[in-house]
Amino acid sequence: MNWIIKQISKETWSPYVAGILLGIVGILAVLLSNSLLGASGAFENIAGMIGKAVAPKAFDILYFNFVMPPGISWSVILLIGVFFGGMIGAATSKTLKWGRKDAANSDVQWKSIFGPQTWKRWVLGFVGAIILEYAAGIAGGCTSGLAISGGMLLVPAAFLFIAGMFASGIVTAWIIYRNRY
Amino acid sequence: MNYVIALFLGAFFGFSLNKAGLTKYNKIVNQFRFTDMAVLKFMMTALVVAMIGLYGLRGLGLIAFPSVPNTYIVGNLVGGLIFGVGMALTGY
Repeated sequence: MNWIIKQISKETWSPYVAGILLGIVGILAVLLSNSLLGASGAFENIAGMIGKAVAPKAFDILYFNFVMPPGISWSVILLIGVFFGGMIGAATSKTLKWGRKDAANSDVQWKSIFGPQTWKRWVLGFVGAIILEYAAGIAGGCTSGLAISGGMLLVPAAFLFIAGMFASGIVTAWIIYRNRY
Repeated sequence: MNYVIALFLGAFFGFSLNKAGLTKYNKIVNQFRFTDMAVLKFMMTALVVAMIGLYGLRGLGLIAFPSVPNTYIVGNLVGGLIFGVGMALTGY
């Protein structure tokens, strides 16, 4: 029992162990709910709901009517679970920075590249998130919804997506970092 | 009931991401710099475990696969290329 508590309170597990846990979650999602794990779709469901309420004309298009119908879908609930699951994970290892002064920007590596200002991190996060969600809309999923969920069903789309993701990710990281850090 | 399952599975999903360290900026970006391979190890382990489980269960006739993500070669590839830029920038 002590051993279990000690393992759970570790900050990082071996990625292999955490990967096995995610694999089991992926199997259970299909077995219990006949659904696939995914995160980006939930944001689109919520965005569609807001859009339909604020500007119904602009959102009366093919994409939000059929491809990503707005509403509280299974993946929206899943996303809420992910949020709390992540918090529980951080709380068990006492790395949860709720209300702490350095909560918004505590990453040493990030600070050494971009500077210590918190607002920079917010701006970059916002811009990057727009890029991510737009790309996920084009590709039909994100890392979890397409790369992992599609990959475990051996869908070709997933592997094309992973290839593209790594190709541009490596180039972007190289442009930002060069030989720093 | 379905929503309760979603909440629980989501919680385990988030928990595993946190424990693998993928909720940190440096883990994601260092994968693209090949100084920390945790992302690939995590993703590939999850893929292999889920593949074995899902194809095994389907072989036993216990499950049918849900509608799989569609393949559009250009869309998936271009989406992936743009996605990688955002991923390396934000560390998502």
